[in-house]
Amino acid sequence: MKYPPFFLPVAAVLAIGLMIPTVSEARVWTSTDGKKLEAIFESLEGDMIQLKLRNGQSVKFPVSRLIADDLEAAKRFALVGDDAMTMASAKKIDLLLARNLAKSTDIRSFNERLPDDLFVRRIYLDILGRIPTREEFQEFADSAREDKRAILIDELLASPGRASHLFNYFADMYRIKDTGVARELDYSPYSQWWRDSLAANVGYDKMVHQMITAKGNLGHNPAIGFLQRDEGMEFDAFSNFGQVMMGIDISCAQCHDHPFTDWTMEDFYQMAAFFGQTQRSMGSYKGAEGKNVRVGLPGAPEGWLNKFQNYAVKQGGINLEDRNERRQFGWYKTALGLNVVDNKRIDIAIPGQIDELGGQVVSPLTLYGENAKTGGKSRREALSEWMTDPANERFAVNIANRMWERAFGRALVEPVIDFPMDWRKHTGQPEVLEFLGQEMVRTGFDLREFMRILYNTQAYQGISTYDRDVDEGRFYLFQGPVLRRMRAEQAWDSLLTLAYGSKIDEVKGGDGSFMREVLRVDFKKDSMEEVFAKYEAYKKTRNKAQKVLVETASLKAKDPEIPVVDGIKMVRSSNMVQPASAASMLSTFGQSDRMVTDNSNFDGTVPQVLALMNGTVTTRLTGSSSQVVEDLSKFDGPDDMVRGVFFTMLSRYPNENELKKGVDMMETYGEDGIRDLAWALLNTPEFLFIQ
Amino acid sequence: MDFKALAGNTDTSRRQFMEGTAKTALGVSMATTYGAVLGSKNVQAQEAAAGGGKAKSLIYIYNSGGMTHLDTFDPKKNNKKVMGDTETISTNVPGIHYGSHLKKLAEHADKIAVINSMSSTNGAHAQARYQMMTGYNQRATIVHPHIGPWCEKYFGKRGDLLPDSVIVNRGTSNSGYLEPALSPLPVANPTAGIANSQIMTSEDRFKQRMEMSLDMGKSFVEKYQHYSSPKGYIEFYDQASRLLSSDELEVFDLSGEKDRQKYGMNNLGQGCLLARRLVEKGVRVIEVHNGGWDMHNGIQDSLSSRLPPFDQAVAALISDLDQRGLLESTMIVVGTDFGRTSRINDRAGRDHQPAVFSTMFAGGGIAGGQKYGKSDADGRRVGDKKVSVEDFHATIGYGLGIDLGYEIYSPAGRPFVFGNHGKPVTGLFG
Repeated sequence: MKYPPFFLPVAAVLAIGLMIPTVSEARVWTSTDGKKLEAIFESLEGDMIQLKLRNGQSVKFPVSRLIADDLEAAKRFALVGDDAMTMASAKKIDLLLARNLAKSTDIRSFNERLPDDLFVRRIYLDILGRIPTREEFQEFADSAREDKRAILIDELLASPGRASHLFNYFADMYRIKDTGVARELDYSPYSQWWRDSLAANVGYDKMVHQMITAKGNLGHNPAIGFLQRDEGMEFDAFSNFGQVMMGIDISCAQCHDHPFTDWTMEDFYQMAAFFGQTQRSMGSYKGAEGKNVRVGLPGAPEGWLNKFQNYAVKQGGINLEDRNERRQFGWYKTALGLNVVDNKRIDIAIPGQIDELGGQVVSPLTLYGENAKTGGKSRREALSEWMTDPANERFAVNIANRMWERAFGRALVEPVIDFPMDWRKHTGQPEVLEFLGQEMVRTGFDLREFMRILYNTQAYQGISTYDRDVDEGRFYLFQGPVLRRMRAEQAWDSLLTLAYGSKIDEVKGGDGSFMREVLRVDFKKDSMEEVFAKYEAYKKTRNKAQKVLVETASLKAKDPEIPVVDGIKMVRSSNMVQPASAASMLSTFGQSDRMVTDNSNFDGTVPQVLALMNGTVTTRLTGSSSQVVEDLSKFDGPDDMVRGVFFTMLSRYPNENELKKGVDMMETYGEDGIRDLAWALLNTPEFLFIQ
Repeated sequence: MDFKALAGNTDTSRRQFMEGTAKTALGVSMATTYGAVLGSKNVQAQEAAAGGGKAKSLIYIYNSGGMTHLDTFDPKKNNKKVMGDTETISTNVPGIHYGSHLKKLAEHADKIAVINSMSSTNGAHAQARYQMMTGYNQRATIVHPHIGPWCEKYFGKRGDLLPDSVIVNRGTSNSGYLEPALSPLPVANPTAGIANSQIMTSEDRFKQRMEMSLDMGKSFVEKYQHYSSPKGYIEFYDQASRLLSSDELEVFDLSGEKDRQKYGMNNLGQGCLLARRLVEKGVRVIEVHNGGWDMHNGIQDSLSSRLPPFDQAVAALISDLDQRGLLESTMIVVGTDFGRTSRINDRAGRDHQPAVFSTMFAGGGIAGGQKYGKSDADGRRVGDKKVSVEDFHATIGYGLGIDLGYEIYSPAGRPFVFGNHGKPVTGLFG
């Protein structure tokens, strides 16, 4: 064996499928006294860096001995890991893509490389979900380093904005909704669980495992939100489960055999049976022998809720005759009681209105592959293991295909919520998707690392395809990304950036921790007094929260840091109540209502245009007290002012013609000319698109 | 606001202006961007050919969440078991009864036709609503248009400045597989009007800004000419500029309306009032959304909060249109996701029941004072003359004068007809 174990995965990855010659090179580190060392970054603790040599040995020495570039790399890798595998993987993707491109008769090769200015705009939008500021671009432009794109990608991936924007994607995919779902509970602990998990870069397979197997109420374990959200509509929940986790839309088979695929109703209910012993609430369930079984509050002594109510009335002095108080208290009891647990006494039958199968109880069976092994485990645990097992290629391919779509504006196989079982025949780049699935597994479903790979490909860093209709031909071959309109969240966060600069990244929103705390009750240990105190605390905020919710795009938590302009709290989309209210600008730009999976809308409308023409943020940007205008008017001469406006609004250099027209405007109107030009650029379609 | 400096005072000058801007922006005239593919029908000819067609406008009130049929339009007199605390009341038409909460509508029963035998195959909200709004089942691969965009595609645009269709109480809308320009105008809050419709500079300066914007945006739109979306935005800027320049915006200002209270000071009531004003201005299709009907828990409490405003608003709308002589040409439809179970559950609520439910029609050629079809004795299944969601849509199409066999193609070339081959309930019409 020539290489130490570390290099095996690369070699193995590259050996798969095709004979493509590539070399994975570890970084060559240089010390201040000129010594060189080829090694993989392992860790940086305090001042000590640890590297792994080719012979498998680790070496540790003070990081200050490295030259400046390597010192920078060490700090960066400490946040996002070494990049040798990343670059090898990106290269392999490019080679696989290029091979099929070369076979096509008319496209042949990748699109030309995106110029630096547009690259910076795109990568900020894709990772942070907002446009860069003029200063941020300038910093990039000033760097003379050849690998500055890779460095920027790493820096952005390590910043909090990554999780913010990724949250927007998953909120759409998983229909994250703080209010207006099952029993009108406040689901903010669940949305916060998503924010926290993404910020900590928890492996996607682990998140899925937590969602499928979660137990308790929203206070005990917020991940129950995934199953709880559709309480009362368990079979719809299962349909959605299939769409997001397997990329299979089997909802048709809920009521009849699927008309266009082989799924039957039996398939549907057999797989749904993995949730057949999942209890989501108190009340009446069909028992294992078809008898009704009443289930109480899980984990609580018999009659606990009644005792609690008695305590609340007698000691707590609440008046249940009062309609409001009754509702508040009832809501709190419901929220406490909505626990997801496994209960072998119940076995949910096929609904009565389904013709032949109605009333039957079926055994769990996965839709495809070897059936999940239930021996000794709960059905949900068995399902979760089956789902996230590397042997379940479809699970890895599904999320890989989605992350690809997120980067390129189009998935390798479509539609993402229901791609064919024989997907290799339904994409122009089957080897790429296969490889991406393997990479998903290799990285441990590390979405940050996975994005890092995609954004470092030549394919991604090309200009968006513009010389032909991307729908032409049977499959798109990914010579570059397709043109995308910003998501609603990107549009909003970009407008905020224009108005407030990059500090918006740091502004925190409500974090769901309060609601989590008031529901975190140990029914056996906590005294009635303690639980009642939580109810009292809840009651106070509940009244407030409801008021705040009516406001446009608002927050539950009070935060003096958050500027409020004309009643709108200036926080990023991911920090708002999910989703933003129907009257908000986010909704106007097509934010998903979170009723069905992937419900964002990218179409233009008249109200969007009106918002950009006359809306609050535009007024602030181009009005009399605009910071943007103030900053720009400090520039020397009209040429620089015009360039400044172009960079602020569109993150690019003006062309000759644009510069000339802009300069004319500055010369005629002075400072007003800046406002007019800023307004004009904000209102070009270019502003809303990711090239 | 007089904004005619931008758009021009007359229709001709406006069009010249906009064609000018479109030419500058796209290098092609507006006629060749969408006009050629629109293929609008000759309105008069179609209406005559299809029969029916007395309805020039549609107000589609949508009770989101699943309106209980037993407590509204399909009460079971003397069946205490299924009725719970809801009583049955007489109407101004002998033999026709409503639920006790619909006291005001009961006085207009002579103008109302109810279908009691609606049946859907969708028991989940989103899917059921989708079909009730579009006539088609929700699919993963295509988005079907609502009635408004379909009509605009079919008939061609009716109004010049106002949109052809408006969605009230919803923040967003889309045009399904049709051109984005056919998207209904969403009005999230009927009392707030169209958001952001006040310009912040002088008209001259606004015009200058707009011209500069079109000029600066030109190279981008030209570069990405193979994509429809950037071009679409140019169209929306065109529409928005035209709207801002018109007096027609006043229709959205309800503040001076003397009948405001009559409709109820809530989103449904004010939405219905706005709908009436829009109909008077010639808007073809108005959806008015009204949530809160998913009554799984404590249905009597929910009914006492949802039904009186509903009763008041719809009754006001019917009588107002009638007084103004517009009822004959305006079809009012009340739809919902599905019905609710006759069994009252452990939480004193009713659960989803798609097997049978009720919808309501008035005006636009509808013969009032009737109930069509029946549910069974307990209101659990269809008893007689089942009407599918497709039939329901076909009935609306029939009223609007749409040729139900006329095919419109999706971009992928799939043919679609209004109402997905449903059969219109012609018996509802006079």
